[in-house]
Amino acid sequence: MKYAFYPGCVAKGGCPELYSAAVKVAEKLDIELEEMTDVSCTGAGCMPTQLSDPINARTFAKAEQMGLPIMTICSTCQGVFSQANHRLQDPEYREEINREYLAEEGLSYQGTTEVTHMLWVLFEDYGIEKLKSLIERPLSGLKVSPFYGCFIRRPGNIMVPTKEVGGRRTYLEDLTRILGAENVDISGKTKCCGFPILTANEEASLGMVSKHAGESKGNGADCMVTPCPLCHLNLDGNQPRAESQKGEKIDLPIIHLPQLVGLALGFDPDEMQLSRHIVSTKAVNDKIDMLT
Amino acid sequence: MEVTYKINRKDPENGGESGYATYQVDLPEDATVLDGLQKIRDEQDDSLAFRASCCQGTCGECAVRINYKAQFTCTTRIGDVTKKAPEVQLDPVRNISVIKDLVFDMDAFTWDKMAAVKPWMEPDEEFAPTENIVSEKDMADVRKTMSCYQCGLCDEGCAVLPVNFDFLGPGAMVKSYRFVMDPRESGAQMDARMKVVEQPQGLWDCVHCYEADGKCPRRLTPSTKIMEMRDVSFKEGIKNEKVGRHHASFINSVKQTGWLDERKLVMETEGLTNVGGLMKLLPTAVRALRRGKMPGRHEKRPGADQIKRILEKAEDSK
Repeated sequence: MKYAFYPGCVAKGGCPELYSAAVKVAEKLDIELEEMTDVSCTGAGCMPTQLSDPINARTFAKAEQMGLPIMTICSTCQGVFSQANHRLQDPEYREEINREYLAEEGLSYQGTTEVTHMLWVLFEDYGIEKLKSLIERPLSGLKVSPFYGCFIRRPGNIMVPTKEVGGRRTYLEDLTRILGAENVDISGKTKCCGFPILTANEEASLGMVSKHAGESKGNGADCMVTPCPLCHLNLDGNQPRAESQKGEKIDLPIIHLPQLVGLALGFDPDEMQLSRHIVSTKAVNDKIDMLT
Repeated sequence: MEVTYKINRKDPENGGESGYATYQVDLPEDATVLDGLQKIRDEQDDSLAFRASCCQGTCGECAVRINYKAQFTCTTRIGDVTKKAPEVQLDPVRNISVIKDLVFDMDAFTWDKMAAVKPWMEPDEEFAPTENIVSEKDMADVRKTMSCYQCGLCDEGCAVLPVNFDFLGPGAMVKSYRFVMDPRESGAQMDARMKVVEQPQGLWDCVHCYEADGKCPRRLTPSTKIMEMRDVSFKEGIKNEKVGRHHASFINSVKQTGWLDERKLVMETEGLTNVGGLMKLLPTAVRALRRGKMPGRHEKRPGADQIKRILEKAEDSK
């Protein structure tokens, strides 16, 4: 089982702990990753499609040359890629991109690259039974709020295109349960974390952090888990500012998806670099210590 | 069939307490949820407040949440609802103040926001004085958005409005799209139009979560329309200064190195001469530094020159 690994800018920048956790977990699961190092940022929904589609077509063409599907560990990368790949299924549009942008480098995208998120890989490629058999430390007693965010769920026709993958709507809850933890549901688990409007409206963005993290904490969660490092950056990195804005302490650790898997596979919190989070993960570490 | 209606009742103006009231109604299976409401008001409780007008799903007046899902009462069959749940629970739509029971404040919800986006056309004066002929190709998409009911279901599902009610919302943005894409507004008029669309609480306050796309009964995909207008803004020149700096820094960073330099992006977005803005970032930067989260040296990637070439060519083609 091998993937062209596309970690995304944030896992190589502001969330280095995500990168190392994903690599360690993949290694333990015997998932081979060949990192794509000569490809571009996806545009993250910040670039107009006119700019991002050609550079993403280039990334897809490179994966096609490698003969591998792409695996992401970032919902934003995944969402932008999936949307671009959807548009590039139109042969006329694809040919135009090939002709205008890729031909000069001797590249051509044929439209065959599959792009998948690590969360989807576990369910659709790896197999949950196999994952279960490798769990060394069931996360019993750990109360976790699954937080999808938006990019990995919508637009529905692109992110959950067929009935066969309809399970994508509950993978995060399913995984939390499989790892032995307890789900703590929140109403906004598929809503936006607020990150995309940090620039245009910081107050509203931080308001979303308080809303989601506050609800999770209020419902008794020890932590939240997310497949998106941009959700993490806002919910974790900006939680202290959201607390100041609201005048209320929240203090909820935000765990990256591979970190939660890693903890259940037997890695210690230090190996998953939980110490790198802005909000202290002490509540999680203490429970893990009790399980060890 | 005997149906139980559980209705969320509120009477804030008269200081009445809010809570659920339950009614039993006998209805034929093909009755609509609205039929039941009318029967309750006619036969059991004439103080019950709800809205309805066209009774055929084209005006949007009767939007409420039926068993948690925002829908029209006039087109939702009671038989379909009771197949999934034993009772029919009705709540007012979310994100908006309630006047009474299921009646919400439509001025604040829809009309004030629509008015804020200048919902009328100001054609370019250089156009021919007789007929302004526009092609079917140009108008097909625009005409489709004219079929918006202005029902507010897209706003009801919006992720921003619960934390910021001043956001103009996807409904008003769809209305804007109808003018942004109309070829009869061009040049200076187009510029003025984009300033209206990009006003604070407008185009750039959307989180592009695509929630609204799944809510529109006309399938007008409001979120997608917002993103298409952002593409227009990029071509015309972004009017919101801070957002403009953010985009410029983002694209430059990818052009120079192939990937995003987050540190530079944060500083350049604030503006390198904006000392106050930069100082505000300091506590977050210190926290990140302490935790080893501050991005390290931003190395140029192999392939960066090709990426730059592609981006520059794509920019030139706009």
